[in-house]
Amino acid sequence: MAARSETVYPVGWKSGRVSSWLVTVDHKRIGIMYIATALMWFVAGGILALLMRAQLATPNEKFLTGNSYNEVMTMHGTTMIFLVVVPILAGFGNYLVPLMIGARDMAFPRLNALSFWLYMLGGIVLWMSWFATGGAPHAGWWSYPTLSEAMPWASPGHGQDYWILSIHILSLSSLAGAINFLVTIHNMRTRGMTWMRMPLFVWAIETYAILLLVALPSLSAAVTLLLLDRTVGTHFFIPSQGGNIVLYQHMFWFFGHPEVYIMVLPAMGMVSEILPVFSRKPIFGYKAIAFSTIGIAFFSMLVWAHHMFTTGMPVGLDSFFMISSMVIAVPTGIKIFNWIATTWRGNLQFDSPLLFCLGFIALFTMGGLSGIFLAAFPVDWQVNDSYYVVAHFHYVLFGGTAFALFGGLYYWWPKMFGRMLDEHFAKAHFWLMFVGFNVTFLPMHMLGLLGMVRRIYTYHHGGLWEIYNLISSIGSGIMALSILVFVANVWITHALRRGVRVGPDPWVADTLEWYTTSPPPSHNFDTVPYVTSARPLRDLRRRLEETPA
Amino acid sequence: MPARVRRKLPSLLLVAVFVVLATAGAAAAANGGFTPPVPHSPNAARTSSAYYLILGFTAAIFVLVESLLVTFVWKYRSRGRARTVEGAQVHGHTRLELIWTAIPVLILAVIASFVFYELPGIDGAPAAADPLHVTVEGHQFYWQFDYPNGARSIGTLHVPVGEIVDLKVISPDVIHSWWIPELGGKVQAIPGRINHFWFRADTAAVYHGQCAELCGVFHAQMLARVEAEPSSAYRKYVTRTAKATLGKQEWTGVCATCHGALGQGGYGPAIANDPLLEQISALTGIVRNGFTGSRGAMPPVGDTWTAAQIHALVAYVGRHVYRAAPIGGTSGG
Repeated sequence: MAARSETVYPVGWKSGRVSSWLVTVDHKRIGIMYIATALMWFVAGGILALLMRAQLATPNEKFLTGNSYNEVMTMHGTTMIFLVVVPILAGFGNYLVPLMIGARDMAFPRLNALSFWLYMLGGIVLWMSWFATGGAPHAGWWSYPTLSEAMPWASPGHGQDYWILSIHILSLSSLAGAINFLVTIHNMRTRGMTWMRMPLFVWAIETYAILLLVALPSLSAAVTLLLLDRTVGTHFFIPSQGGNIVLYQHMFWFFGHPEVYIMVLPAMGMVSEILPVFSRKPIFGYKAIAFSTIGIAFFSMLVWAHHMFTTGMPVGLDSFFMISSMVIAVPTGIKIFNWIATTWRGNLQFDSPLLFCLGFIALFTMGGLSGIFLAAFPVDWQVNDSYYVVAHFHYVLFGGTAFALFGGLYYWWPKMFGRMLDEHFAKAHFWLMFVGFNVTFLPMHMLGLLGMVRRIYTYHHGGLWEIYNLISSIGSGIMALSILVFVANVWITHALRRGVRVGPDPWVADTLEWYTTSPPPSHNFDTVPYVTSARPLRDLRRRLEETPA
Repeated sequence: MPARVRRKLPSLLLVAVFVVLATAGAAAAANGGFTPPVPHSPNAARTSSAYYLILGFTAAIFVLVESLLVTFVWKYRSRGRARTVEGAQVHGHTRLELIWTAIPVLILAVIASFVFYELPGIDGAPAAADPLHVTVEGHQFYWQFDYPNGARSIGTLHVPVGEIVDLKVISPDVIHSWWIPELGGKVQAIPGRINHFWFRADTAAVYHGQCAELCGVFHAQMLARVEAEPSSAYRKYVTRTAKATLGKQEWTGVCATCHGALGQGGYGPAIANDPLLEQISALTGIVRNGFTGSRGAMPPVGDTWTAAQIHALVAYVGRHVYRAAPIGGTSGG
């Protein structure tokens, strides 16, 4: 660590209450800015989802036109994936990784700030597209050509170009962040923290970063070719002139499937951190969970074409991707069984972080199991592109990732801000979200089996279609309410200063971030204890008990 | 495995089996979207059996996982114990890890094997002397069908019941996806590619479906119907009715989606009194090449249409749609 005198706080305009955030290179502040920005986009993307559910609540509804529905749908998907889930995980990673490994900051603090500001820029560019000629992009979040090409009957105007530009900016942000995470984790772990003593969340961020590095270039290449088609007249994806649009699907999903695990693995890492603390036990099968994370990451790069079973691939390829997709269920199952075993004979403390983690396990199991149907390609031919798939990936990404994220927010909130969020509000938030989520997305399985295809702005059937859609729309309202409860909780905790101030370790937790004050000082730790196990704080507590003062 | 868990396991499994049976019974009794649609083609039937096999295993796993979770949550709740009271400090169990790795592998192997067993009857049509070959063209925003005798229909595919139909699925513009749930799965219609699909409708009925891949602003209106009828009725349709009603099919299946059933306008402008409707060369140009005006773009909806097809359209709109003198409007120019 450099001499203290070099890190004297900057003077002048750089130390203002707002401007100090603008120029900060502190990983904690950057992490908080990531999380806050992502939550803002979460609300924005959620409002888009509510618009869609309002349009679909009844048949032949005229609330949105076909064109604006396609815009809203495209922006909802892109926003939730690129502006919410991936960056909020980067935010948690930023905040937690250096603290968890006992480091002073990320390896490249300035690069870290660049990542954040690129993310901010990428989000603004994406949402500027609402004002572009021709409106926002409307070819879906995967933007398959030829629908995303510039032909007058496809995607003329500049909305799609904003989308491409934004993807490029966000990719740069994520790549810089991924490199930063890898260098930090590999080089800056504190004394004694071997790979097998590293918190499982750090394992998850390690694989998250590797997957981003491997997968993102493929996306960047695909959208670059699309941009060239649209602007300089190449025809990579224009079949009438020799282009091949299945190539785009391969390039997109070679990124797109690892992306799913990019969005899920760190959430699983959070569950692996929170569950043992609230069970008052060590995690069951540390190595099994760590290695299954790596296993999932490896296989996630071999399953991409299961998104393309209906493109008429040869049966040999279909079979390969079916088997590889099924293989990935095995390490996922290992994690779920280990988590359940973690609660076995525990002393379960039902604070909100545990509730959200249990919700994660219950709902993610559902999403994982419906994935088996989709992996079996003949069954996929039946349910692919229907609401069954919409239900499936929301169970994985909302029921899974979003529940874990809120669990993580409630868990690390006192560390970040030094105050506890209100537990009554937190529990109300959980139950509303759990019920609302199931009411929204469970009926979508039935809709898919009934033949409702995804991405339609309206439908003409009454009967079951109408009933299930209406139920689903009502559920989305309950979820919206749960988010309002969360916002209210933050408000009463901070604006009204009702939140209880806490010491370094309110949950009696096990990992190093709880060793320092809440919130931590800008240099994180005065000293870091020598790490002798995966639970350094428990070791400390026991040593304190054993040695009389 | 500790004794307490071992004692509980049989009863847990019993509960699991019971719940699965009850669910399966309820689902079979009322097909309220709890099961795939009733199959009306051999490939759809085989897909459904694969679905039920997977459902059996996944439902059992679901019940096992969720009931374990609920049981443990209930049983090991803190009951007022302080946070500092530790639970059992168990770090893992190698044999358990091996068990819950091996059993899913076995289950997945069974599922995959069953899929391969069912696959030949799903992927390829049974060897038939002479399947009916139909070309299906996905198009913004309608389906066009070409029959072996050169007949064409739009929106509704007519097939003889009980005969194997081999579909050649293509698209000239964007990606579409062919799907009639009761007649099997879906296949994308991809520009620049030819995909194949088959079915054999077992009952004379009308089967409904729609385009399953986002294809633009009217993706939701790109409906498809398959009308399976006795072979005499089918022959009558392709030899006479298809040709006689082609103009009407074109108007209602293609033009009316945007311009309204009476040409009164909708997403597209009102055209009921546009004299262009009677000018065959201008109309041909617009329908074949599309049109980009100040108010938006019309896709080249008829870029694969024959001259006869356009004549049929002009004849139909001349008789049923075109109103030369609108009330209170100007006629001509």
